[in-house]
Amino acid sequence: MTTLNKVNAGRKVVVSDVKGDQRFLSRITSVGLTIGCELEILHNEKKLPLLFYGRDTVVALNREESKNVFVEVIR
Amino acid sequence: MNAATITGHPTIALLGQPNSGKSTLFNGLTGARQRVGNWPGKTVEKKEGYYVRDGIRYRVTDLPGTYSLSANSEEEIITRDYIASGEADVVCILADSSQLSRSLFMLADYAGIECPAVLLLNLVDVAEAQGKTVDASKLEDKLGIPVIPFVAADRKQYGAFFETVDRALKEKKRININSLTAKYYTIGNGMYEKLLALMPEEGIGNYSAPWLATKLIEGDTAILDKVKNTLETEAYRDVQTILSSIQNGALHTSGCKFQWVDELLSDVLIQKQEKPLFSKFDRLATHRRWGKPLAVFIILLGLVASFIPATPIMVLGSMIPRLGGPIAEILSSIGVSQILIDLINQVVLNTLYFAVAMIGFVLGVNLVFGFLEEVGYMARISYVFDGTMAKLGLQGKSVMPLVVSFGCTIGGAAGTRVIDSWGQRVLTIALAWVVPCAATWAIVPVISSLFFGAWAPLIIVAIFIVAGLHMLITAKIFGSKLIREEDRAGLIMELPPYHKPRWKALLRSIFVRTWDILARALRVIFLVSLAFWLLTYSSLGNPDASLLYRFGRAIEPVTIIFGLTWQTFLAYFASMISKEAALGVLGSLYLGAGSLFTATIGSGGKVAVGLESVLLASLTAPAALAFIFAVTFNAPCLMAITSTYQETRSLKWTLRILGYYFSTSLILAFLVYRIANLFM
Repeated sequence: MTTLNKVNAGRKVVVSDVKGDQRFLSRITSVGLTIGCELEILHNEKKLPLLFYGRDTVVALNREESKNVFVEVIR
Repeated sequence: MNAATITGHPTIALLGQPNSGKSTLFNGLTGARQRVGNWPGKTVEKKEGYYVRDGIRYRVTDLPGTYSLSANSEEEIITRDYIASGEADVVCILADSSQLSRSLFMLADYAGIECPAVLLLNLVDVAEAQGKTVDASKLEDKLGIPVIPFVAADRKQYGAFFETVDRALKEKKRININSLTAKYYTIGNGMYEKLLALMPEEGIGNYSAPWLATKLIEGDTAILDKVKNTLETEAYRDVQTILSSIQNGALHTSGCKFQWVDELLSDVLIQKQEKPLFSKFDRLATHRRWGKPLAVFIILLGLVASFIPATPIMVLGSMIPRLGGPIAEILSSIGVSQILIDLINQVVLNTLYFAVAMIGFVLGVNLVFGFLEEVGYMARISYVFDGTMAKLGLQGKSVMPLVVSFGCTIGGAAGTRVIDSWGQRVLTIALAWVVPCAATWAIVPVISSLFFGAWAPLIIVAIFIVAGLHMLITAKIFGSKLIREEDRAGLIMELPPYHKPRWKALLRSIFVRTWDILARALRVIFLVSLAFWLLTYSSLGNPDASLLYRFGRAIEPVTIIFGLTWQTFLAYFASMISKEAALGVLGSLYLGAGSLFTATIGSGGKVAVGLESVLLASLTAPAALAFIFAVTFNAPCLMAITSTYQETRSLKWTLRILGYYFSTSLILAFLVYRIANLFM
């Protein structure tokens, strides 16, 4: 298990857990990121928000907050 | 409404996530019959309007775009409170068919609220282009509420929408939540069931017991308060005991909601082919190194392009003052007094000219940048500039109005319309005023080279350094009031898929408020021009007899503290009407010729013959420097102020920004003057 900010672009992952306060959880889940959902990392560059694809949607997520998303790399 | 027929004025609320097409539908439904204001006491925009069908007037409320119905932002609280208030007779939930699985989250979050609802599967054309088909009638069977496939930008399809709304108003159906609540039973150790048993059976207001229980699991404090006020002390204590055993509740309930959505869509959504996730262009647009230059390049290109629709209107506007001659002739032939003729010629015609020219440019900017927003590119700009703009408390999109302001601050202010948060919009405008506009460069180089010769470029460098510092300080001062804590929270943003522009809907959204804007612009420009005209009026045609002249002479002991002579102070004062006026007014005052009003309105930045030598003889180098800084960092111009008023829709904030710039530019002049005096 690793965190989203450590996964290179091009990898596919499955979300295993998300940490954070109620506000963060409610925001992150409302854009489609929940436990068990599959994501593909599109961009992981220093100084830029993380970019991933999941549930038909390209989502940009702050680097700091992507540390709170725990994932299993599947491909 | 209890009858089977529709009576009274039914109220329809539009609910949906950002980019679901709510605004398009709202504009399409209401056209010019809409009013935009703020929700009482909030910094969130409130849009209301109506449409009439078969003699019945339907009120439409466009709720703020939110991703869910939790209570984490002002937008979400407003949306929820509005739905709870029971004001809406039917809620239209919009979902983006091209991203249905995520987009239906709002529906899942709404399920359990006791208000009739309709599901609009918007953007079906985009979904079809992606090879996706949605079986709306099957979805309707599963949900139990009316569901229609829809394209909000296409008004030809509104017939089906109207019928569906009427059906919902008559049938008053709620979403069938049985299969959703079944999932909630699996959370924790049957905690949902226990909570549900403790909830008041009839719910609270529009919130049903199942909905309340779910929100409690999510740790929603606003709902917990509501429950506390309703339940007996003992029952509430039981609720607290149950809730103490769960963490990350929102993670579990959202999981259930998405499972429910996936099940709903399992035989409803058919996807033929997988689209490539990330186009070549998107790779470039979001590139670490190339994303930013590309964004700036496209914004500059947009600025140039906005002149294409703007120029004909601006040229038309510039022809208005030419009517002055013929009108004066006619009026004086019928014996109208000269002062009235002057008033019409100078104030009325110039007001029309300014307003029309301004509208032309505002429309151009809104068209071009509305287009970039519509096709989806603006979200990419937001992504690459997020980090940079966050330092100012702003979102990435704010870079666009700031870049546009290098051309013209009117365009910068108008461009902020793509920013969805009102507070961030006002702050962006407040910062856009710092950016030296093109007109600044008609004045600064002239005076700096006159006084400082080969050192003039240094002045320009100094202006940029000061502008940078100014922005940081201004962002701090205004940000504390305008930017809410939740806006500062890290970015979680969706990058919508690119799609073809819908010109009709785009033009509609731009023209819908044109009359409103024009009326407001005419009012503001007329009042200010009139006041300025009265101040500068002199029956002899020379400046000496005007009120402003006398005022300037009287106040000189004060202005000189800031390094401004009475002449440069009046020129600085006039530069709030138009930046180019600074030179015209100097000419008029130092050479004692021509009316101050004409010098302000019509000088076009030309340097009067003989002005240079007079300036060199009458001003010291520090005084010239003080003047340069005062004018550069003064309010940009009357039209920019008007444009600010339009976009903020707040006289209070417009005056605040104006007062701030007036005083800070004088403070800057003071500092520059005092420091320069030490060295020169």
